[in-house]
Amino acid sequence: MKCEDVSRALPLYLYGEVSPATEEAVEDHVAGCAACQREFKLRKAVHSALDARELTVPAGLLQECRGDLSRRIGREPVHDRGWLGIGGWLRESMHDGLRLRVPLSAMALIAMGYFAARLTGPLTPGPATPGGGSFATTNAGLESAAFSSSVRAIEPQASGTVHISLDEIHRRDITGRLDDDKIQRLLLDAIRQENSPGVRVESVGMLKECVQSSPVRAALLDAVAHDSNAGVRLKALEGLKTFVGDPDVRRTLSQVLLHDDNPRVRIATIDVLTSHCDDAMVGILQDVFQKEDNQHVRTRVQNALREMHATIGTF
Amino acid sequence: MTFLTAVRLSILPMVLAAGVLANRMATQADEATLIRAAQRGDAEAFEALVRTYDQNVLRIAMNLLRSPEDARDIYQEAFLRVYKNLHAFRFDCSFHTWLYRIVTNICLDHLRKRKVRREESTIVDTPEGPLDRMEQFAQNGPGSDPERHAWNRQLQERISSALEDLSPRERMVFELRHYQGLRLRNIGEMLGTSEEAAKNCLFRATQKMRSILGEFV
Repeated sequence: MKCEDVSRALPLYLYGEVSPATEEAVEDHVAGCAACQREFKLRKAVHSALDARELTVPAGLLQECRGDLSRRIGREPVHDRGWLGIGGWLRESMHDGLRLRVPLSAMALIAMGYFAARLTGPLTPGPATPGGGSFATTNAGLESAAFSSSVRAIEPQASGTVHISLDEIHRRDITGRLDDDKIQRLLLDAIRQENSPGVRVESVGMLKECVQSSPVRAALLDAVAHDSNAGVRLKALEGLKTFVGDPDVRRTLSQVLLHDDNPRVRIATIDVLTSHCDDAMVGILQDVFQKEDNQHVRTRVQNALREMHATIGTF
Repeated sequence: MTFLTAVRLSILPMVLAAGVLANRMATQADEATLIRAAQRGDAEAFEALVRTYDQNVLRIAMNLLRSPEDARDIYQEAFLRVYKNLHAFRFDCSFHTWLYRIVTNICLDHLRKRKVRREESTIVDTPEGPLDRMEQFAQNGPGSDPERHAWNRQLQERISSALEDLSPRERMVFELRHYQGLRLRNIGEMLGTSEEAAKNCLFRATQKMRSILGEFV
C-alpha cells in the first residue's frame, strides 16, 4: 500500500468501514511511515474534536415534544390515522364470517366509488374558510381541492342495507398575492393554528411583509407575546422591527423582555427595542438586569445600558 | 486443564453468542408485536414505539439543525408521518430503518431549505466577539478554565463553518455515521442509496473537515 492509498483509506479506517485486509495494510504501512503516522494522528485529532460538537438536547424538550405529539394525535381525525379506522374495522368485520362479508364488501366499493367521484369531480368553491370565516375566490386562484372523510356511525338496516354517517373534510389549495385581503385573512387564521408551529412560523414570515396593516400588526404582537413556540415569537419580533417606535409595540415588547422564558427571544427583543432611541428603556433594562439569570442576556443588557450611557443599577 | 473444561471453554463463546442472538430476536419479536398492535390502533403500543426511538430522533434533529424549535418541528412531523403511514409498513425492512428514512428525509428538506434561504447561523456577532446562540444550551461547568473555554469556542466556530461547507447529503451521512454510530450500509439503505455512495459522501465530508480543521487541532 502506498502513502496516497493510505491517505484515501484513513477516513474510513477511523470509522471501521474498511475490509480487514485494508485495515491490516493501513496499520502495516503507518507503522513504518513517519509522514503517514503524522497524518493518522492529525485525522484522529480532527475526529476527536468533532466528538465535542455533539449537542445536548435541552432539558425538558423531549417531554414537551411528547406532550405536543400526544395532543396532535388526539386531535387527528380518524381518516388521518392511516385508515386504521375504516380499514381496521373492515378487517375485523371480515373475521365475523361470511354473513357480513358480501354487504360489507359492496358497501366498501360504494364508498370507494363515492370518494373517487368526489376527488375527481368538478371543483366548486364553497363558502367556508378553514378558520371559519367566509371565502370566495377573487384574485386568489383556486388550484385544487381534496376530499376526505371518516365514518362516524354505522347502522345496519332491517332491509339488509347499511346506514353510514360520514364526517367530511375538504382540503383546498389556494394561490394568491400577499396583498389580497382574502389571502391575508387566511394567513391571519393560520397564525392561530395552535397545533401547527410550522404553519404559524410560515404565516408570520409572510405576514411580516404586510406589517403596515393594523390587523397584521395586532396579530404579530399577539404572536410575540403569547405564541407557545419560540421560533414563531422570534419571527413575529422580526416583523415588528420597523414599527419599534410605535407605543403599542414598545409596550408589548417590554413585557416580552420581562416575561418571555426563552433567552433567545429576550436577546432579540433587547436588540429590537434598543434600535430605537427611548430613555424609558433605561429603567426597563435596569429592571431586567436585576432579575435576569441568563449570562448572555445580562451581557446584552449591560452593553445596551453602556451604549445609552446609563448605569447598571438604580441604586 | 481437563478435557471437559476445555470443551466447556470452547463452547462458552458459542453459548454466549447464541444468548445474544436469542435476546436480539426476542427484542425484534417484541417490536413486531408492538408495531402490529399499533397498526390495529392500539395507542399504548404506538406510544411505546415512539418512546423507543424518540430520544435519538430528537438528538439527530438537534445536531443537524442546531435549533430546538426546528428539532421540535422535525420530531412532530416525523412521528405524525409514522402515525399516518404505519398501516403501510410491511416489515420489508426494520422499523428502525423505516423511521430513520422518514426522519432523514424531513431533515434533508430542512437543510436544503436552509441552504437556499442561507438561513441565519446560530453564531451572532456581539461586542465581545462571535457568540453561538446555542451555547445557552451547552453545559459549561462553573469555574471552567477561561482560556480553555475561549479555545473551545474557536474550535466550535471552525467546526460550524466546516459543517456548513458540507452539502445536506454529506452532512446527513456524517451525522448518522459520526454521531449516531450507524453503519454505512444502513445509512445507504435509509437514504435510498448504495453503501458505496454513502462511503463516498463520508469520504468527501471528512476531507472537507480535514482541510478546515487540520491546522487548528
